[in-house]
Amino acid sequence: MKKQINFVLNGSEVAVDVEAHQRLIDVLRGSLGHTGTKEGCGEGECGACTVIVDGRAVNSCLYPALEAEGRSITTIEGLRSIDNQLSVIQQAFVEQGGIQCGFCTPGMIMSTKALLDQNPDPTEEEIRDALVGNLCRCTGYVQIIESVKSAAQKLKG
Amino acid sequence: MNHFDYFKPQSLEELWDLEKKFPGAKYIAGGTDLMVKIKNRSIKPQTLISLRSVGLPGIDIGEKVRIGAMTTITDLIEHPELGRIFPVLAQAAKRIGSPQIRNVGTVGGNLCNCSPCADTALALLILDARVVLRSSRGSREIALEEFFIGPGVSCLSGGELMTGILLDKPASNARAIFMKKGRVKMDLAVTSVGVLLEMEGDICKKARLAVGSVAPVPLRLKKVEELFENAVIPKEIIQEAQKIAVNSISPITDIRSTAEYRREIVSVYVKRALEKLLGNE
Repeated sequence: MKKQINFVLNGSEVAVDVEAHQRLIDVLRGSLGHTGTKEGCGEGECGACTVIVDGRAVNSCLYPALEAEGRSITTIEGLRSIDNQLSVIQQAFVEQGGIQCGFCTPGMIMSTKALLDQNPDPTEEEIRDALVGNLCRCTGYVQIIESVKSAAQKLKG
Repeated sequence: MNHFDYFKPQSLEELWDLEKKFPGAKYIAGGTDLMVKIKNRSIKPQTLISLRSVGLPGIDIGEKVRIGAMTTITDLIEHPELGRIFPVLAQAAKRIGSPQIRNVGTVGGNLCNCSPCADTALALLILDARVVLRSSRGSREIALEEFFIGPGVSCLSGGELMTGILLDKPASNARAIFMKKGRVKMDLAVTSVGVLLEMEGDICKKARLAVGSVAPVPLRLKKVEELFENAVIPKEIIQEAQKIAVNSISPITDIRSTAEYRREIVSVYVKRALEKLLGNE
């Protein structure tokens, strides 16, 4: 059962044919070629697949593709700033050592963006709560928390 | 990959038509439980019928309070008045999963999944919630504790779906607490406890206790509630309550924990919850 869906992806309108059983992650990585979003567990536990839908972080591995109709979706590809430079959040992760293998990073950064968009001045507790659905096997999380703090500082200006 | 058809009815009438056309179809709300079961092949539905666009009502606060079943956990937590009227419900909802899960998962889904560990179930049980169930043939209203039959099994039948949760505003002297033991913050409950007390001075006028993950369903501890009714609650009564609580449950040993540890935690949490509510920690 194929159907065309229309939604806004990283600020631009897209129209794409999807199969009924596909998940948002399948459409993003497949037909739309946006492979920045990663599939880790496929069960909504690891957060590697995190994208932002209508301002809220979601696990794209559990989100039926057909439900993307009419929504505004942001993936890691949408965070580039002008001249293809890294966004403030991405730069903070690079500078603070919040990246090792990089697999969890797109998800971490999308959860961070969702947090800072809603709460520009989070406490450490609030940062930890916001990232509770994002797992990292490499860093031990300390530098990731530092990266979020640094990004928040920079964004506050 | 598991293949299925997926429909998005725009009204209840459309939904009943689809339900008749595809018997055996599963309803999908947020999908945070269902999509996992499909991935693990523990269920293999041919057809999913989405409840997202059916137009179920949201949160209505009047004399009584009505929470639409499709309310996401995040919307439940962030509702400006709901958390003030029912702090224990917001407290329980905040302990569900992660932000990603809460942004998409619904309170109706949390209940209809019928897990013995469902966090909103405990809070709603101690708040004496009733639920509204609808099918193409009409609707009915039942007490939430009658809704759960067994692990993963509710009393929904004949294409019924849950449309809303009904609550009375708590008495002004009501205080409640929800406590959840997990290995890490994002875990399902190894054990959880919800307690509500209505005190008049030293005397308990009403008590509600519920425990999760230690029985086939989220369980009301009615024998403890009876113990407390119209009673003063000194230390000795709390100890009695702990014993009765542990004897009322039937925990199992599974991948998350052992029956022995769960019994221990129920005993400890019942004591801690009561001491916190009675102000003598």
